[in-house]
Amino acid sequence: MELAWYALLGLFFATYLVLGGYDYGVGLLLARRPTAPATPEHDRAADASSRAALNAVGPFFLGNEVWLVTAVGILFGAFPTLEGELLSGFYPVVLGALAGVVLVTAGVQLRSRPRAQAARAGWDRVVVAGSALAALGWGALLGGLLQGVPRTASGHVTGVGHVLTPFVAAVGLAVLALVAVQGATFLTLRLPAADAAPVARLAHRLVPAALAAVGTAAVLGLLSDRVRAAVARPAVAVLLLVALVAALLVARAALGRGRAGVAFAATSAALALPVALVGAALWPRVLVSTVDPAASLTVADAAASGPTLSLLGWLALPLVPALLGFQAMCWWVFRGRTDGRAPVYW
Amino acid sequence: MDPLLLARLQFATTTSIHFLFVVVTLGLVTLLVGLQTAGFITGKPVYERLTRFWGQLYVINYVLGIATGIVMEFQFGLNWSGLSRYVGNVFGAPLAIETLVAFFLESTFLGMWIFGWHRLRRGVHLALLWGVAITAYASAYWIMVANAWLQHPVGYEVRDGVAHLTDFGALLTNPTLTFAFGHVVMAALVTGGTLMAAVSAWHLLRRTPDFLLFRTSLRLGLITMALAVTGLQGFGFAQFAPVGDLQPTKFGGGPDRDAMVAEWTTRFGPGDYTPPVLSNVGLGFMILIGFTLGCVWLLLPLLWRDWIIRLKFPLWLLLLALPLPFAAVLLGWLAREVGRQPWVAYGLLPTDQAVSPVGSGLMLTSLVGFTLLLGALAVTNWTLLARHAARGAADPALGRPPAPDTDTRPHPVFA
Repeated sequence: MELAWYALLGLFFATYLVLGGYDYGVGLLLARRPTAPATPEHDRAADASSRAALNAVGPFFLGNEVWLVTAVGILFGAFPTLEGELLSGFYPVVLGALAGVVLVTAGVQLRSRPRAQAARAGWDRVVVAGSALAALGWGALLGGLLQGVPRTASGHVTGVGHVLTPFVAAVGLAVLALVAVQGATFLTLRLPAADAAPVARLAHRLVPAALAAVGTAAVLGLLSDRVRAAVARPAVAVLLLVALVAALLVARAALGRGRAGVAFAATSAALALPVALVGAALWPRVLVSTVDPAASLTVADAAASGPTLSLLGWLALPLVPALLGFQAMCWWVFRGRTDGRAPVYW
Repeated sequence: MDPLLLARLQFATTTSIHFLFVVVTLGLVTLLVGLQTAGFITGKPVYERLTRFWGQLYVINYVLGIATGIVMEFQFGLNWSGLSRYVGNVFGAPLAIETLVAFFLESTFLGMWIFGWHRLRRGVHLALLWGVAITAYASAYWIMVANAWLQHPVGYEVRDGVAHLTDFGALLTNPTLTFAFGHVVMAALVTGGTLMAAVSAWHLLRRTPDFLLFRTSLRLGLITMALAVTGLQGFGFAQFAPVGDLQPTKFGGGPDRDAMVAEWTTRFGPGDYTPPVLSNVGLGFMILIGFTLGCVWLLLPLLWRDWIIRLKFPLWLLLLALPLPFAAVLLGWLAREVGRQPWVAYGLLPTDQAVSPVGSGLMLTSLVGFTLLLGALAVTNWTLLARHAARGAADPALGRPPAPDTDTRPHPVFA
């Protein structure tokens, strides 16, 4: 029972990273705004390219973020103990990610409401900053989990200095790079064919950067005593890491051959795999204590008691397929590339 | 500074901002369902134009509803980890259900509704808005289930200091739930109706060319306001009985309160078990505003032969009434939540045991940072709402028909 809920939690958070990942990736790419001559024509062209990118995300944007909200809902309902300890134990990291999510949420939806070009350019910067914060924050949270937390016998994580390590920073940057690749690949798939070629080249160039970032994080992880001590299943961790690297290589090859769909599937896998890696490598624990092995929190201990889980289980059984169905309807209705006739709102 | 005070201040700030936006969301979406359904049945273009104009305001308002809602959800874990530790088994369930049953679908449907104009069949597009509205109500319901449990914990037993769920049905039949949910829904409808009436009044005073359009929405807003304010008062006063029985310390003194305090003193040790006076002040002013808004019934006869528009002063009154429902929802919320102190779950978990063991520096950073961030976003959002409301219904960006040409590059054909 706990395993099923843990898997569902992982599914929702991983799907959020995949779908929210291209929101933030597209958000990061708004920074490409060429700064050259600030003429009105140039401003209008820059505005049009930002709008085209955001409206490619358009109908999916609101439906992407709900995966995060529901993941936290599941965390609260099915793993209340973990919810309190995880969020308060990683306070600064969660704070940063949350600020990023809020900035992107507001920025994307409001940027086209003012008419002035300057106001819209300002909102674009808000979206860029928010996307970077969100990607770094969630990456740092995953890295922090993998290196364990100073949880004492009282059941609380003491202090917040434990997240200030090179490994956590490297994982944050790796997720940031993966998100950028995901955004560029998504635009390759969605923008009108004429506009897709430059982003495809950009995505192709970003893959090696992502590989380097993932490699750095992996090396720092192998060198870190805390990570080595926390990981209970090194073989699984290495296997999933290899799968991540393979996904990125597939994405690069597919981008080179103009197979945007395959590339997007591969970059999506690359964003989902870190969640599976953290979950599987630490299993059966979820918060590994670095100060007192007995104080580690296992998934079973973190879970809600039986009646709560079975109540939620009976609800989730019919609901999760319905949720997936309505999301699939959204993807199906708005499939294909955007064109001049597609509704434009963001 | 005391982390408990900081955490409480942050919760109060975030929830207040959140509430100001969600009442508008819930109220407006109901009116939008009416407008779009009327358009679907009658085929009159005025209803489509009304749906686009009010839909645009609805969608702008929705942004801050989500942004603040996400912060609220995370705040439970960040600042109130004791809440999940001691009562998470029971309190977490309705919140998890809210995200699964309601919010997930609400946002998914809304995304399709915004981008579905002129692309989906009209029936499907209308069904999506119905979906948004139904899930919005479901969302409010489950949040109130969770809140009612904090007001009056039921359906649980404590083993090893942790509450475990024993009877989920008791959460749904909680006496502090039914009337409170009705009260919140009516408050949302009053707010939505007042907003619609006030914005329409402004355009009618300015003699905007769209006379017929704003006349329609003035009438719709006013009638909604009148019907809902009566329900609002009814559900409000109906709550005194259950609250008096179950939360004797909330609004008054008397032997019940003394007995309750004596019981707590034996169980939890001596302490100050009376809520701050702010709760009663909130209640008093809220009731005052409720009666003032009830005077909207006096304006209804003036709808005859458009006297309400011809006389002009009723339009000014409506415009001046716009802040009242917003003030009332905040005051009502203060009465309900501050009146529960010093408990986070009434008579079960003291507030000071629920706060996370986080340093006050970090808590202060979070409080100041998020208050500034959400405050700035709220002000920006209201400015945008006011500008779009003033711009009129000539050509809202929402639901704009696609350009007739078949150009494959998305040129900026929009302002």
